[in-house]
Amino acid sequence: MKTDKKPLYQRKAFIIILILLAGFIGIQFVRPDVPNPPVTGDFTAPADVKAIIQRACYDCHSNQTNLRWYDKIAPVYWGVAGHIKDGRAGLNFSEWNKFAPADQKAKLWESINQVLAGAMPLPGYTAVHTEAKLSPADINILKNYLAGMIHSKPADTAAINAADRQYQHWQGKSTSFAKLPVAANGIAYIPDYKNWQPISTTDREDNNTLRVIFGNDVAVKAIKENKIHPWPNGTIFAKVAWAQLQDKDGTTHTGEFKQVEYMIKDDKKYASTAGWGWARFKTPKMVPYGGANVLFANECVSCHKPLANEDFVFTQPIKH
Amino acid sequence: MKALHIFLGGCALLLAACSNNKSVKLFNTDAALPASPKYNLDGFKVITSFVNKTKATTSTLYGNDAALKSALDGNKSLAAGEVFTLVTWKQQDDEHWFGAKIPSKVQTIEVLKTGATGVFDYSRLEGKELTSSKDTLGQGERIGYILGQKPSVMP
Repeated sequence: MKTDKKPLYQRKAFIIILILLAGFIGIQFVRPDVPNPPVTGDFTAPADVKAIIQRACYDCHSNQTNLRWYDKIAPVYWGVAGHIKDGRAGLNFSEWNKFAPADQKAKLWESINQVLAGAMPLPGYTAVHTEAKLSPADINILKNYLAGMIHSKPADTAAINAADRQYQHWQGKSTSFAKLPVAANGIAYIPDYKNWQPISTTDREDNNTLRVIFGNDVAVKAIKENKIHPWPNGTIFAKVAWAQLQDKDGTTHTGEFKQVEYMIKDDKKYASTAGWGWARFKTPKMVPYGGANVLFANECVSCHKPLANEDFVFTQPIKH
Repeated sequence: MKALHIFLGGCALLLAACSNNKSVKLFNTDAALPASPKYNLDGFKVITSFVNKTKATTSTLYGNDAALKSALDGNKSLAAGEVFTLVTWKQQDDEHWFGAKIPSKVQTIEVLKTGATGVFDYSRLEGKELTSSKDTLGQGERIGYILGQKPSVMP
């Protein structure tokens, strides 16, 4: 039987496959470095908790990354290397002692809340590394561990005195500034927040604070008109946090003023930070959080990211 | 060709399966404050906010400008026309943040108005229906409690 087929090496498809294969082999030599620097101060927790965190988080959030063979094949490898770099920059359990104890606690609550919200470990990662998925039993262990950290007890004299001193100094006056403090991203402290309407309150047992969330006129109008998905440009929230001050009767009052945080909606101006301008001012002196580092807002965005469907807003406003 | 179509169709299905269909609850409807002529928070400022861990309640004390001014002075001299409103909600877990509690159903709305020196008009509304409480027992204590609240520091 006569065939008009060309020899294999002359066929188009064959040549294309050869080129692709050569390309695939070629890109294997483009290898970003993923070093495992020494562990300087490892995260500590009870064994069962630590085992879960190690299994689910350590590949990207520690210096003890365990790359499987399939992680090492480009172009997948490039994505993996990027995730590890970003993951370690965001949170590194191998350098846990770099955080002050209060910050360690805050980081842990934030991390586990990211897990509970399903934002972490990244779904793309668990799709391949199925062993990193958390079972309901794992989640319970983590929740119980955190719940065990909650201690509510009557305030001690030091806390009462600190709150009193701050109150005496304040007495209803706004801190006066020659020039309003400004965060690195250009957002200035807005003294008028206290005249806005409260849209909710939060009792944060994880860090012993009480919070009131205020909304400006644009926010309040949007709530009334059911137009908060997304929130309109011009919306501003101010979240104020105070230390909890528990009295002997079990009532917990607002103690020392800790900070005020703002979210300012402008989907164009703040397009690079999820459509919101972020700022936090600490103590009555209104010290801008993040100092001169304009990238501080990335921290805000990554914590709010699980709420992307709710326009990055944690607070569910109360209508009245 | 047919195989390619099936493959592409499969990919589309996979992508659709991955899209986020989680329903979004935007408002805290449990804690909504019903509209009523029995109280009015328009133009009111926050004086303070507090929680009771034993009763699992959370409260916000609102005041008109006169009430806020007076509260900042420790309510030492009350003038006529001051209005304090104390809203108390039951607490619920915040589904967005493990470790946080947010307001749930409204339990009481207490409205305190000052008249001439030493004269108070106190009313207590209960539940979402804002039923006016007929019980006058303990009113004096509640008035003292509301006037005893120290404003939250808001620099």
